Amino acid sequence: MSENRLEIRNLHARIAGGADILKGVDLIVPAGEVHALMGQNGSGKSTLAKVMAGDPSYEITDGDILVDGESVLEMEPDERARAGLYLAFQYPVEVPGVSIANFLRLAINARRDEDDEIGVMEFYEKLQNAVKELDWDDSIIERNLHEGFSGGEKKRSEILQLLVLEPKYAILDETDSGLDVDALKTVSQGVNAARGENFGALVITHYQRLLNHIVPDKVHVMSEGRVITTGEKELAMELDQKGYDWIKDTVAAGA
Amino acid sequence: MATLTDNPAVSAAAVEALTERLQEPAWLAEERRAALRTFDATAWPTERDEDWRYTQLKRFSIDGLEPTDGPADATVGDRIAMRMRDSDAEGILVNKNGRTIETVRKLEEQGVVFEDLNTAVREHEALVREHLYSVVDAKSGKYHALNAALWQNGTFVYVPAGIEVELPLGTFTTADRGGLSAGRTLIIADENAKVTFLDEYTSEPFDGHLFHGSVTEIVLKQGAKARYLSLQNWGRNVAHMGKMHARLARDARLESLTVSLGGDAARVEVESHMQGPGSESEMLGLYFADQGQHYNQYTLQHHEADHAFSDVLFKGALRDASHAVYSGVIVVDEGAQKTDAYQTNRNLLLDEDSEAVSIPQLEIGANDVRCSHGSTTGPVPEDQRFYLMSRGMQPEVAEHLLVTGFLYEVMSRVTLPKAAEYVERVVQAKLGVPGVKEKL
Repeated sequence: MSENRLEIRNLHARIAGGADILKGVDLIVPAGEVHALMGQNGSGKSTLAKVMAGDPSYEITDGDILVDGESVLEMEPDERARAGLYLAFQYPVEVPGVSIANFLRLAINARRDEDDEIGVMEFYEKLQNAVKELDWDDSIIERNLHEGFSGGEKKRSEILQLLVLEPKYAILDETDSGLDVDALKTVSQGVNAARGENFGALVITHYQRLLNHIVPDKVHVMSEGRVITTGEKELAMELDQKGYDWIKDTVAAGA
Repeated sequence: MATLTDNPAVSAAAVEALTERLQEPAWLAEERRAALRTFDATAWPTERDEDWRYTQLKRFSIDGLEPTDGPADATVGDRIAMRMRDSDAEGILVNKNGRTIETVRKLEEQGVVFEDLNTAVREHEALVREHLYSVVDAKSGKYHALNAALWQNGTFVYVPAGIEVELPLGTFTTADRGGLSAGRTLIIADENAKVTFLDEYTSEPFDGHLFHGSVTEIVLKQGAKARYLSLQNWGRNVAHMGKMHARLARDARLESLTVSLGGDAARVEVESHMQGPGSESEMLGLYFADQGQHYNQYTLQHHEADHAFSDVLFKGALRDASHAVYSGVIVVDEGAQKTDAYQTNRNLLLDEDSEAVSIPQLEIGANDVRCSHGSTTGPVPEDQRFYLMSRGMQPEVAEHLLVTGFLYEVMSRVTLPKAAEYVERVVQAKLGVPGVKEKL
């Protein structure tokens, strides 16, 4: 059995001091695959994303998160990122006065030894390729991180960072929300460009439409803090037509 | 409560010895004597004074300090030499412990005077006599009276009407011995003249404690433009008491930046008096206090004439039980209609042991004006920190980025690239960014 996978085992988590929001999530995304995670509002999808990235406002009460077989539970958010995890935020944060280029250069160098900083040419080539992949203008790299960005631009920036930072596993938290059709295509194009045997992704979404562009290898459905079923890509289509109550009833009947 | 007390070394005898050594004309000796009388008649500030309430006064004590009598080593030293090479200045004076030890002049512009103040008193006596003490006199406060009586040396700049000096002129003030020192700068830009002045303070470690007082008077005649950049990066055994005060005639423009990064404690007062209609003052401030430093900053935007504009933006970061005070006043005189005046102070607290106090004030005597002020003080937003760390940045790298990002709003408005680069390097060195210290 290959250890090259992102694995979530019986994960329980809550906002510090609150009731559990995640109530035993089990999920495996092997390297080389893209999985969709679907579910209604409040089912715990976004909590799962933030908990995986190490958001300090949550506490894990049980279970484990493993990157290629290694637990990241005790790691700080920066250590998890360096271990290969990447979260594309649902609501990317504005950081005034920090240009995208400077920010990404520091983020890359954070992954490298102190005496092995990325060369200027190498860095700009990488950055410009990513910008091109997303049909963006070069001037974007000199803009301050998300300052004055539209919702769509912020989402595009999350994918730009993904392309430049080349994580092993990415969690895309509702990257499609608030995007028009063109932006949706562009963003999908970026994610598809990242696909490969050394890259796994968990694409969190409400809607099937994103999955027309990023075709998943598997679809997981989450409800009330747990993954209640997993199926092939057709499951997303079926969910879209029949609704979440249908899947909940089906799972309940089968249980 | 800490109280400040008289220092017997600040005496009539000290004034006489100084004016004698400098062979000053009678009028100046008399000014100094009068200033000393004002000093003696003025009470030391106490923590009961509104202006000084939050100031850690004992850190500005001159107790037991003797006026410095020149440096131990009258050479420029590596650090100043590096700054001289780096700063792009057309004219440079180096002051060390109250003596001017080096003068470099590259400029050959028609009639421009760039001279140490002691020499200027002799060689440009009429100009100096007309303007010295005309902007900041002994009545401006206890410490400024001390400066007026006992300033040892300084810089004189005169730019004749219509002449534009493109590259900066600068004074580098340093020290290698403790004591009490005082410097004075007088800048006069005649009608439609243009000048840029760098006022830097830095020192290598030395034994003892230094109190340095600095007063800068800027006179801008009609249509004149000045950029003034004060960069205080003293060693940690220095207390700095600085005042920059500009007087603007019609359509004159001032762009100032006051940077506080060094010293044990520093108080800076930045005042701009819009005396002519259409005059404009931009007054920027930037500070980063660490390891218990205390910075105290005061700004005054005095709108005496109509249709003038002023904008104050002071931003700073604090950590390691450091302390900052900002107080600022916008005064709009009766009749100063169509005034446009803004004042903002923002503090970023990097830990819970540091503290910032912000006191903005408005005194408006006209009815057709636009004025606003605001201040914020708070910690690094946790969502920003988490976001940066989620991209793999170690906490210290994230902090470095958040501090430079916070200060960017000020830095992006600095129109002197070389100076801005230097400020950024000093900030990075304080943040502990690897590889930066060696470049300073």
